[in-house]
Amino acid sequence: MYKYRASKNSGSKSWVIQRITGIALVVFMIGHYILMHYHPDSGHTYEAVLSRMQYSWYRIIDLSFLVLGMYHGLNGVWNIFRDYNLKPWQNITVLSLILILGIAFTAWGFTIIFSIPYVDTLSLSGN
Amino acid sequence: MQTIDNQVENKKKIKTYDQKEWIKENLSYKKDSGSWAWILHRITGLALIGYLFLHIYSLSPLTEGKAAFDAKMQQFTTPFFMVLEWFLFAFVLFHALNGIRIVIVDWADGAKYHKPLYRLSWIVGIILFLGMGFLMFSYEIGVLTK
Repeated sequence: MYKYRASKNSGSKSWVIQRITGIALVVFMIGHYILMHYHPDSGHTYEAVLSRMQYSWYRIIDLSFLVLGMYHGLNGVWNIFRDYNLKPWQNITVLSLILILGIAFTAWGFTIIFSIPYVDTLSLSGN
Repeated sequence: MQTIDNQVENKKKIKTYDQKEWIKENLSYKKDSGSWAWILHRITGLALIGYLFLHIYSLSPLTEGKAAFDAKMQQFTTPFFMVLEWFLFAFVLFHALNGIRIVIVDWADGAKYHKPLYRLSWIVGIILFLGMGFLMFSYEIGVLTK
Protein backbone atom coordinates (compact mmCIF):
# COMPACT_ATOMS: atom_id res chain seq x y z
CA MET A 1 0.00 0.00 0.00
CA TYR A 2 1.32 3.40 -0.83
CA LYS A 3 0.42 6.65 0.79
CA TYR A 4 -0.09 9.07 -2.08
CA ARG A 5 -1.71 12.31 -3.02
CA ALA A 6 -3.88 12.16 -6.11
CA SER A 7 -5.55 14.75 -8.22
CA LYS A 8 -8.51 14.61 -10.57
CA ASN A 9 -6.48 16.86 -12.85
CA SER A 10 -4.21 14.74 -15.02
CA GLY A 11 -2.00 17.66 -15.92
CA SER A 12 -2.38 16.86 -19.61
CA LYS A 13 -3.30 20.40 -20.65
CA SER A 14 -0.19 21.92 -19.16
CA TRP A 15 1.89 19.08 -20.61
CA VAL A 16 0.67 19.87 -24.11
CA ILE A 17 1.05 23.62 -23.66
CA GLN A 18 4.58 23.13 -22.36
CA ARG A 19 5.53 21.40 -25.60
CA ILE A 20 3.70 23.89 -27.82
CA THR A 21 5.27 26.88 -26.07
CA GLY A 22 8.61 25.10 -26.31
CA ILE A 23 8.37 24.85 -30.08
CA ALA A 24 7.16 28.44 -30.33
CA LEU A 25 10.08 29.57 -28.19
CA VAL A 26 12.59 27.82 -30.46
CA VAL A 27 11.22 29.84 -33.38
CA PHE A 28 11.25 33.06 -31.35
CA MET A 29 14.77 32.38 -30.11
CA ILE A 30 16.16 31.94 -33.61
CA GLY A 31 14.67 35.28 -34.60
CA HIS A 32 15.85 36.88 -31.36
CA TYR A 33 19.45 35.76 -31.81
CA ILE A 34 19.55 36.83 -35.45
CA LEU A 35 18.11 40.27 -34.68
CA MET A 36 20.34 40.87 -31.67
CA HIS A 37 23.58 39.71 -33.24
CA TYR A 38 23.62 40.30 -36.98
CA HIS A 39 25.73 43.30 -36.09
CA PRO A 40 27.54 43.88 -32.79
CA ASP A 41 25.50 47.05 -32.26
CA SER A 42 22.12 45.67 -33.27
CA GLY A 43 21.28 44.52 -29.77
CA HIS A 44 23.40 46.85 -27.73
CA THR A 45 22.55 50.43 -28.70
CA TYR A 46 19.54 52.51 -27.82
CA GLU A 47 19.10 53.57 -31.44
CA ALA A 48 18.80 50.02 -32.71
CA VAL A 49 16.24 49.11 -30.05
CA LEU A 50 14.33 52.34 -30.63
CA SER A 51 14.09 51.84 -34.37
CA ARG A 52 12.74 48.32 -33.94
CA MET A 53 10.22 49.47 -31.33
CA GLN A 54 8.71 51.99 -33.68
CA TYR A 55 6.63 49.22 -35.16
CA SER A 56 3.70 48.25 -32.98
CA TRP A 57 3.65 44.73 -34.39
CA TYR A 58 7.25 44.29 -33.24
CA ARG A 59 6.28 45.28 -29.71
CA ILE A 60 3.41 42.82 -29.77
CA ILE A 61 5.72 40.01 -30.93
CA ASP A 62 8.25 40.93 -28.25
CA LEU A 63 5.62 40.93 -25.50
CA SER A 64 4.23 37.57 -26.66
CA PHE A 65 7.79 36.23 -26.56
CA LEU A 66 8.07 37.40 -22.97
CA VAL A 67 4.77 35.87 -21.90
CA LEU A 68 5.48 32.55 -23.59
CA GLY A 69 8.96 32.35 -22.15
CA MET A 70 7.72 33.16 -18.67
CA TYR A 71 4.97 30.56 -18.89
CA HIS A 72 7.24 27.82 -20.22
CA GLY A 73 9.97 28.51 -17.70
CA LEU A 74 7.77 28.83 -14.64
CA ASN A 75 5.69 25.80 -15.60
CA GLY A 76 8.99 23.92 -15.84
CA VAL A 77 10.02 25.08 -12.38
CA TRP A 78 6.64 24.04 -10.99
CA ASN A 79 7.08 20.61 -12.62
CA ILE A 80 10.38 20.18 -10.79
CA PHE A 81 8.65 20.86 -7.49
CA ARG A 82 5.82 18.48 -8.39
CA ASP A 83 8.37 15.67 -8.41
CA TYR A 84 8.71 16.01 -4.67
CA ASN A 85 5.98 15.00 -2.31
CA LEU A 86 5.35 18.47 -0.88
CA LYS A 87 2.86 19.02 1.86
CA PRO A 88 -0.11 21.25 0.97
CA TRP A 89 1.30 24.33 2.69
CA GLN A 90 4.58 23.88 0.83
CA ASN A 91 2.73 23.51 -2.46
CA ILE A 92 0.80 26.69 -1.84
CA THR A 93 3.92 28.62 -0.84
CA VAL A 94 5.91 27.50 -3.88
CA LEU A 95 3.05 28.16 -6.29
CA SER A 96 2.44 31.60 -4.84
CA LEU A 97 6.10 32.53 -5.16
CA ILE A 98 6.19 31.32 -8.74
CA LEU A 99 3.02 33.24 -9.63
CA ILE A 100 4.06 36.43 -7.87
CA LEU A 101 7.56 36.50 -9.36
CA GLY A 102 6.22 35.58 -12.78
CA ILE A 103 3.54 38.25 -12.83
CA ALA A 104 5.86 40.87 -11.35
CA PHE A 105 8.65 40.35 -13.85
CA THR A 106 6.25 40.08 -16.78
CA ALA A 107 4.62 43.35 -15.70
CA TRP A 108 8.08 44.92 -15.42
CA GLY A 109 8.87 43.77 -18.94
CA PHE A 110 5.63 45.29 -20.20
CA THR A 111 6.37 48.65 -18.58
CA ILE A 112 9.86 48.64 -20.05
CA ILE A 113 8.52 48.05 -23.56
CA PHE A 114 5.74 50.62 -23.13
CA SER A 115 8.20 53.21 -21.86
CA ILE A 116 10.05 53.28 -25.19
CA PRO A 117 8.76 56.33 -27.05
CA TYR A 118 7.42 56.55 -30.54
CA VAL A 119 9.63 59.13 -32.23
CA ASP A 120 9.57 61.17 -35.35
CA THR A 121 11.68 59.41 -37.97
CA LEU A 122 13.70 62.54 -38.70
CA SER A 123 15.08 62.65 -35.17
CA LEU A 124 16.32 59.05 -35.51
CA SER A 125 18.92 60.10 -38.01
CA GLY A 126 20.06 62.89 -35.73
CA ASN A 127 18.65 65.81 -37.77
CA MET B 1 1.82 -19.09 2.28
CA GLN B 2 1.59 -16.20 4.65
CA THR B 3 0.63 -16.79 8.25
CA ILE B 4 -1.86 -14.49 9.91
CA ASP B 5 0.98 -12.87 11.81
CA ASN B 6 2.83 -12.06 8.58
CA GLN B 7 -0.28 -10.59 6.99
CA VAL B 8 -0.80 -8.30 9.94
CA GLU B 9 2.88 -7.31 9.75
CA ASN B 10 2.62 -6.49 6.05
CA LYS B 11 -0.47 -4.36 6.49
CA LYS B 12 1.34 -2.34 9.12
CA LYS B 13 4.23 -1.60 6.71
CA ILE B 14 2.82 1.27 4.68
CA LYS B 15 5.51 2.23 2.18
CA THR B 16 6.37 5.87 2.02
CA TYR B 17 9.23 7.03 -0.08
CA ASP B 18 12.17 8.51 1.71
CA GLN B 19 13.05 11.98 0.57
CA LYS B 20 15.73 12.63 3.14
CA GLU B 21 18.53 11.13 1.09
CA TRP B 22 17.25 12.05 -2.34
CA ILE B 23 20.47 13.53 -3.61
CA LYS B 24 22.53 10.50 -2.60
CA GLU B 25 19.82 8.20 -4.00
CA ASN B 26 19.82 9.99 -7.30
CA LEU B 27 23.60 10.05 -7.56
CA SER B 28 23.80 6.31 -6.83
CA TYR B 29 21.81 5.35 -9.91
CA LYS B 30 23.85 4.14 -12.88
CA LYS B 31 23.42 6.85 -15.47
CA ASP B 32 23.21 6.33 -19.18
CA SER B 33 22.81 8.94 -21.90
CA GLY B 34 19.07 9.39 -21.34
CA SER B 35 19.56 10.13 -17.64
CA TRP B 36 22.16 12.73 -18.52
CA ALA B 37 19.78 14.28 -21.04
CA TRP B 38 17.08 14.51 -18.39
CA ILE B 39 19.21 16.04 -15.67
CA LEU B 40 20.98 18.45 -18.02
CA HIS B 41 17.64 19.55 -19.47
CA ARG B 42 16.45 20.32 -15.96
CA ILE B 43 19.66 22.15 -14.99
CA THR B 44 19.76 24.24 -18.18
CA GLY B 45 16.06 25.00 -17.79
CA LEU B 46 16.56 26.35 -14.28
CA ALA B 47 19.53 28.39 -15.44
CA LEU B 48 17.52 29.84 -18.30
CA ILE B 49 14.52 30.92 -16.24
CA GLY B 50 16.94 32.51 -13.77
CA TYR B 51 18.58 34.26 -16.70
CA LEU B 52 15.21 35.51 -17.95
CA PHE B 53 14.68 37.38 -14.69
CA LEU B 54 18.20 38.80 -14.95
CA HIS B 55 17.58 39.77 -18.57
CA ILE B 56 14.46 41.77 -17.72
CA TYR B 57 16.36 43.53 -14.95
CA SER B 58 19.32 44.29 -17.22
CA LEU B 59 17.07 45.87 -19.87
CA SER B 60 15.37 48.20 -17.38
CA PRO B 61 17.74 51.10 -18.28
CA LEU B 62 15.63 51.39 -21.42
CA THR B 63 13.12 53.29 -19.31
CA GLU B 64 15.78 55.89 -18.47
CA GLY B 65 16.66 56.84 -22.00
CA LYS B 66 19.59 56.66 -24.35
CA ALA B 67 22.48 57.61 -22.08
CA ALA B 68 21.69 55.16 -19.32
CA PHE B 69 21.02 52.29 -21.70
CA ASP B 70 24.12 52.83 -23.83
CA ALA B 71 26.28 53.06 -20.71
CA LYS B 72 24.90 49.78 -19.39
CA MET B 73 25.41 48.11 -22.77
CA GLN B 74 29.04 49.27 -22.80
CA GLN B 75 29.44 47.18 -19.66
CA PHE B 76 27.86 44.18 -21.27
CA THR B 77 30.05 44.22 -24.37
CA THR B 78 33.31 43.81 -22.49
CA PRO B 79 35.08 40.49 -23.25
CA PHE B 80 34.23 39.02 -19.83
CA PHE B 81 30.51 39.45 -20.40
CA MET B 82 30.79 38.26 -23.97
CA VAL B 83 32.29 34.98 -22.75
CA LEU B 84 29.41 34.65 -20.28
CA GLU B 85 27.00 35.30 -23.12
CA TRP B 86 28.71 32.59 -25.13
CA PHE B 87 28.23 30.06 -22.32
CA LEU B 88 24.60 31.16 -22.02
CA PHE B 89 24.25 30.28 -25.69
CA ALA B 90 25.53 26.78 -24.84
CA PHE B 91 22.75 26.41 -22.25
CA VAL B 92 20.15 27.72 -24.71
CA LEU B 93 21.40 25.35 -27.41
CA PHE B 94 21.29 22.27 -25.20
CA HIS B 95 17.84 23.01 -23.80
CA ALA B 96 16.38 23.86 -27.23
CA LEU B 97 17.90 20.94 -29.12
CA ASN B 98 17.05 18.42 -26.41
CA GLY B 99 13.57 19.93 -26.23
CA ILE B 100 13.12 19.42 -29.97
CA ARG B 101 14.29 15.84 -29.47
CA ILE B 102 11.68 15.36 -26.71
CA VAL B 103 8.92 16.68 -28.97
CA ILE B 104 10.04 14.37 -31.76
CA VAL B 105 10.06 11.40 -29.38
CA ASP B 106 6.65 12.34 -27.97
CA TRP B 107 4.81 13.28 -31.14
CA ALA B 108 6.68 12.15 -34.26
CA ASP B 109 7.28 8.49 -33.48
CA GLY B 110 10.83 9.31 -32.56
CA ALA B 111 11.25 6.74 -29.80
CA LYS B 112 12.83 4.45 -32.38
CA TYR B 113 15.67 6.92 -32.88
CA HIS B 114 15.94 8.63 -29.54
CA LYS B 115 19.61 7.76 -29.00
CA PRO B 116 20.80 8.79 -32.50
CA LEU B 117 18.72 11.95 -32.11
CA TYR B 118 20.49 12.67 -28.85
CA ARG B 119 23.90 12.24 -30.43
CA LEU B 120 22.82 14.37 -33.37
CA SER B 121 21.63 17.16 -31.08
CA TRP B 122 25.02 17.15 -29.31
CA ILE B 123 26.86 17.33 -32.64
CA VAL B 124 24.64 20.11 -34.00
CA GLY B 125 24.89 21.92 -30.68
CA ILE B 126 28.68 21.83 -30.58
CA ILE B 127 28.94 22.98 -34.20
CA LEU B 128 26.58 25.92 -33.57
CA PHE B 129 28.33 26.78 -30.30
CA LEU B 130 31.74 26.94 -31.95
CA GLY B 131 30.28 28.86 -34.88
CA MET B 132 28.82 31.45 -32.54
CA GLY B 133 32.14 31.71 -30.75
CA PHE B 134 33.83 32.35 -34.08
CA LEU B 135 31.27 35.09 -34.87
CA MET B 136 31.42 36.74 -31.47
CA PHE B 137 35.18 36.74 -31.11
CA SER B 138 36.13 37.24 -34.74
CA TYR B 139 38.19 40.32 -33.87
CA GLU B 140 40.19 38.56 -31.14
CA ILE B 141 40.71 35.52 -33.37
CA GLY B 142 41.98 37.81 -36.10
CA VAL B 143 44.47 39.38 -33.69
CA LEU B 144 45.69 36.01 -32.41
CA THR B 145 46.19 34.49 -35.83
CA LYS B 146 48.12 37.41 -37.37
